[in-house]
Amino acid sequence: MKAIRNILILAAMLMPFSLGLPACHSLESYENDYYGNFDALWTALDEHYCFFEEKGVDWNAVRAQYRSQIKPDMELKDFFDLCADMLAELRDGHTNLSSWFDVSYYRKWWNDYPQNFNWRLIQQCYLDFDYSTSGSMSYKLLEDSNVGYVRLSTFAAGIGQSFVNDMMLSLKESIGMIIDIRDNGGGDMTAVEDFASHFIDERILAGYIQHKTGPGHSDFSKPYPYYFDPAMGVRWLKPVIILTNRSTFSAANNFVQVMKPLPHVAVIGDTTGGGSGMPFSSEMPIGWSVRFSASPVYDRDMKLTENGIEPTKGGDIDMDPQAALDGHDTILDFAIAVLVRNAEDNKDNSRALREMF
Amino acid sequence: MTMKKICSLLAALSVVFAACAAEPGVAVERPVTSVYALEVGSAHLAQTYLSPLRYSGVALALSYERMQAMRFDPERWVMRLSGRLDGAHTHNNPARNASMWDLGLNVGWGMSRRWRTGAWSFYAGGYTALEGGLLYVPRNSNNPVAAKASWTIGATAAVARHTSLWGKRLTLRYLAEMPLTGIFFSPEYGELYYEIYLGNHSGLVRGAWPGNFFRLNNLLTADIALGRTILRLGYRCNVSSTKTHDIVSRHIEHMAVVGIASEWISLSPSRKPDTKAEYISALY
Repeated sequence: MKAIRNILILAAMLMPFSLGLPACHSLESYENDYYGNFDALWTALDEHYCFFEEKGVDWNAVRAQYRSQIKPDMELKDFFDLCADMLAELRDGHTNLSSWFDVSYYRKWWNDYPQNFNWRLIQQCYLDFDYSTSGSMSYKLLEDSNVGYVRLSTFAAGIGQSFVNDMMLSLKESIGMIIDIRDNGGGDMTAVEDFASHFIDERILAGYIQHKTGPGHSDFSKPYPYYFDPAMGVRWLKPVIILTNRSTFSAANNFVQVMKPLPHVAVIGDTTGGGSGMPFSSEMPIGWSVRFSASPVYDRDMKLTENGIEPTKGGDIDMDPQAALDGHDTILDFAIAVLVRNAEDNKDNSRALREMF
Repeated sequence: MTMKKICSLLAALSVVFAACAAEPGVAVERPVTSVYALEVGSAHLAQTYLSPLRYSGVALALSYERMQAMRFDPERWVMRLSGRLDGAHTHNNPARNASMWDLGLNVGWGMSRRWRTGAWSFYAGGYTALEGGLLYVPRNSNNPVAAKASWTIGATAAVARHTSLWGKRLTLRYLAEMPLTGIFFSPEYGELYYEIYLGNHSGLVRGAWPGNFFRLNNLLTADIALGRTILRLGYRCNVSSTKTHDIVSRHIEHMAVVGIASEWISLSPSRKPDTKAEYISALY
């Protein structure tokens, strides 16, 4: 029994030692009250958010402004709204606060602009409700103009390579392709690469990505260039027009960013919604989670597209609501006209598509 | 130094060790001690890449331990091979509306010098370990996972006492392991795994030392001989804390251990058991 005691004493002496040492790697602690939760939220953004400088946001001033509005006896929903209002100061569509009763969104990046898209109109007046579809992608050859129309509603569902190959083979006799990513709110960046790689025949510089290297507002890594390689399947090098609106956001914005510089590609519609910061998540003691931009992605000229990408010069077109009542999508009509004119005037494809505007 | 010279040196060293160890005329058998154990307990996790909150919950592990006296000096040197698969499902505190999963695999091999004094045995030596795994927070967007990978070299020490309880042979042991150096994986502070996927691998491998990669594994066991089988009951407390790129990761486990141990000798038609041999166990 003495031996047991001795062993236990030795273990008891060493184990607290092992429990105490990690304390040198300190962890922040937050109270689960309004002030503690506010501080956890503010600090998560303070240490990880990536666009303070670009957006001219004084985050310390924001803290002072909103923390002073906290009242210990305020309603939980009022506290949620207060936190959401604080996040809205960042003017960032990638920033959301999620609770069990609501999710906050910053919507001004699109709600002050015309929607410029009506999927029902296109299905009814251009596709005759008869088109091929798989996942988020639908397509049809518009026979009157011999133009291929491809609708891609999201990048969140993944891109089926066999479907893309089949789609491109089906449209191979057309004079060009229209890729409609209006209202495409984004998704996976890998899906962007999967799709964009079908439109190149050599390795291209797709852009640069950066990340925070520490909690300071200026702690950023050196921008890292990333490249896309051509797809193994069918490659489309005929003219391409991408249709955009303000709800073309995040990964869809990135798709435009990669595709727009290609010589056989033009962009028509409205400036995209932006969203070029890849989101990161954190959470608060109360159980709410927060998502925000954390890693800036730049285009190949090291320009930030957080505020959107303009259409190709001459391609800034709004949808005419009156024409829409008559069954015309004026953005789509303009794109078809450009492709038809390009086919007639540029038979040897010697000029870049953007010169046809 | 050429490979031939290295081989010659190793061969010479093995002869020297064997000469030191051998007692003329006495054959030695070195039984293998192997233990399979199930561990159940609690895990307390924190990983600031995933969340600023601490998580606590249940943990489960399967472990294997194999010990054997070394051929060159079986009385004084023993080796220990260990493997452990562990998992944990934890909730954050106090909200308890999100979860963090942990999965890890650890394989280690070490060699220790043994000193026997009556019923006591003391061990001290070194070991090396490979570890991999991940932490997973399902509700996170682009940072749902923090991968764990390390290769470390460390120190190990143990003390064992051989006694009896209710007429049964009982071996009590306390074992501690602590890595002293090595390498481990970590993304930079806000680096997404997508950027790593794109090819940016700079800064992912960090040098480990107790200041940035602290770990202490404590294992307290009581092995009770029940006929030819040995029942192991024990308690494990593993503590680890890393800090690099301003990312803090903490993992504390308290586990009850129940296992079955046995000792065996490899025999074959060409290798018959030597009844006159001296049996030198690594632990018992």
